[in-house]
Amino acid sequence: MLLLYLLRPAPDLVTVGPPQTVESSLPILAVHTRLADEVEEWKIKRSLEMVREMGATSIVEFFPWAYYHDNSGGIAWEHPDLVVNHAHAQGLKVIARLGFSPDWVRPEDAPLNYLDESGYDDFAVFAAAFAERYKGKVTAIIVWNEPNLSFEWGYRETTAADYVGLLRQTHAAVKEVNPSIQILGGALAPTLEPPGSPWGLNDLIYLDEMYQAGAADYMDGLAVHTYGFKFPPEFEPSPDVLNFRRVELLREVMVAHGDAEKKIFITEMGWNDHPRWTRAVKPGQRIAYTLEALEYTAAELPYVEVAAIWMFRTPAPIKSYMDYFTLVTPEFIPKPIYLALQERATAGQE
Amino acid sequence: MSKISQWVSLLILGMLFAVGLSGCQPQDDAWQTIQRRGVLRVGLDPTYPPFENADTGELEGIDVDLARALGETLEVEVTFVYFGFDGLYDALATDQVDVLISALVEDISKTRDFAFSDPYFNAGQFLFIHQDAPEKSLTMADMENHLLAVELGSEGHVQSIEWSRKINGLEIKALPTADDALWLVTQGEAHAAMVDQISGRLYRQNFPELAMVAEPVTVEPFAIVTRIDDQSLLEAVNDGLAQLTEDGTIETILHRWLD
Repeated sequence: MLLLYLLRPAPDLVTVGPPQTVESSLPILAVHTRLADEVEEWKIKRSLEMVREMGATSIVEFFPWAYYHDNSGGIAWEHPDLVVNHAHAQGLKVIARLGFSPDWVRPEDAPLNYLDESGYDDFAVFAAAFAERYKGKVTAIIVWNEPNLSFEWGYRETTAADYVGLLRQTHAAVKEVNPSIQILGGALAPTLEPPGSPWGLNDLIYLDEMYQAGAADYMDGLAVHTYGFKFPPEFEPSPDVLNFRRVELLREVMVAHGDAEKKIFITEMGWNDHPRWTRAVKPGQRIAYTLEALEYTAAELPYVEVAAIWMFRTPAPIKSYMDYFTLVTPEFIPKPIYLALQERATAGQE
Repeated sequence: MSKISQWVSLLILGMLFAVGLSGCQPQDDAWQTIQRRGVLRVGLDPTYPPFENADTGELEGIDVDLARALGETLEVEVTFVYFGFDGLYDALATDQVDVLISALVEDISKTRDFAFSDPYFNAGQFLFIHQDAPEKSLTMADMENHLLAVELGSEGHVQSIEWSRKINGLEIKALPTADDALWLVTQGEAHAAMVDQISGRLYRQNFPELAMVAEPVTVEPFAIVTRIDDQSLLEAVNDGLAQLTEDGTIETILHRWLD
C-alpha cells in the first residue's frame, strides 16, 4: 500500500481555479495576448490573471491552425484548451484569431501564411470544430490576419474577392455549429500600398472591394488594426495618413455600403516606445497617448466594441522594437503603462 | 602479433580516425575571403546617434570609429552599407555584408543563424549620482529610504518598480524624460537617477557634477554580429576587439562620443 501511495501520480500544480469576474470602468479595454508560444501553464494562467487585474474585459489571441491539425483530421486541443479555459475562468471574453496553414494544405516550401482556394474548405472545417468546442467561451473568430498584406497572404496577390471566398466558406461552416459566435472580417492592416503594389493594398480600398465582393453577408463585424505611430491620438484622420483615427475612415466605408449596424473590433492598437525605432514615441508619450485614445474611443466611437492593445507580454524577449509594444515583461514585471491602464480601468471599482 | 590481431588493431585505428574526423568542424574560409578581398563590409542602420548617424551628410559615430579601428587592427579596408533597422539581419544572412556593427544587443533567439562577438558596450541601466554625494559607491541595494528619479515608462522605471518590492522605503519619482530625472540629481532633489548609460553620459557632458556608478543595474550588451558559419571571422573579430580593449582604443572612442 505504501508503495502504491508513493507511486501515485503527482497532483496538478496549476489548476484553472474558481470563476472570476472582471471589474472594469473601461469596458472597451482589451489586450492582444501572445500565448500561442507560451508552453508553461502557470505562465498562461498568470498572464490572464494580470489581464483581468488590469481591468481588460477581453483578450484577442492567435490560435495557429498549423500547430494543432494533422492531415488525418486529428486536432491537438491541449494547448488551446489551456488558453481558453483559463481565460474563461478569469471572466475574460476570448476573440480568437485563426490562421497559419498546416503543411498538408499548402505547396512544399510555401510559407505558413499561404492558403489558396483549394484549402479554404479545410480551414472552414477547423474553424467550425474550434467554434463548436469553445461554444460560450470564445465570443468571436477573426478569419485570418491582415489579408491585405502580401506577407500575411502567403505572398499571393492580395485580392479582396479571394479573401471573401475564405470568409464565406468559414462563415457557413461555423454558423452551422455555433450560430451565436461572431465572425469578424479582416483584421485589416493599416497600409497605404496602392493597387498593384507587390506588398499589399490600402486598407480603405481593400475594405471597399470586400463589400463589392459580398463580404457583408459573411461577417458580423470588422476587425481592424489601428496604430498611432508618431501621431497623437487626436490627430485628424486622412486617407493618406496612418494614425489611430484611421478607424473612422474604415467606418465610413462600412456606412457607405449600408453596414452601419455592425461593430468594429480594434484587435490591435497602440504606440511603441523603442529608443531607436523611427515610428516610436517617448515612453511617457506612449502612456498618455494610449490612455487618451481609449478615452476618445469610449466617448466618441460608439460603434467600436473593443480596443485591444498590442501586446500584453511575450514568452521571451524578442530583442527588437517589438519588445517595446508590451505591457508586462517576460518575467511578469508590470511596465508603468500597465499600471496606468490598471489605475484608469479599475477606478471606482471595489 | 598474429594476422588477426593486426587486422583488429588496424580496424580500431581506422574507427578512431573516423571518429576523430567526424568531431572536426570543416574550416570555413570567411576570414580568408575577406583578407583576399582586402575589404570588410560592415552593415549598419545610420539613424542612432551617437553610435551611427548619417544625418549630417557624413557617416559618424561610435560604431563607425570602432569599425575603422577594427579594420586597421585586422589590416583590411572597411566599407559601410546602410540598411533599415529591420533589414539588418536579412542583409547579413543574404551575404550583402560580412558583419553588422550597429548597436545590436546580443540575442539568444538568433544564435541558430548568427554569432555575436564579445560585447564592446553595455547599454543597460546605471545609477547617476551627484559627485558630491556622501555615498560614492551607491548601488540599488543601498537605496533604502532614498529617492530615485527615473524616466516615466522607461526600462529604468520598470526596474525601479521591481526594486521597490525588494527594498524598504524606495521612493520613485517618474519624470517625462531621462534628462528631467538627471536634472533632479544635479539639484540635490533625488539621491540618484536610473537611466541607460548612453542617456546618462550624454547628459553629463553639460553637467559634470554627475557621476556614473560603475556597477550596472542591468546589462544590455552591444556586440558585433557575424553569420554562424563564419567562425573564422568571428575569431578574428574577437581577437581584434580584445586588442582594441587592451590598448585602450575602445575606451577612447567611447570617451570621445559620450563624455
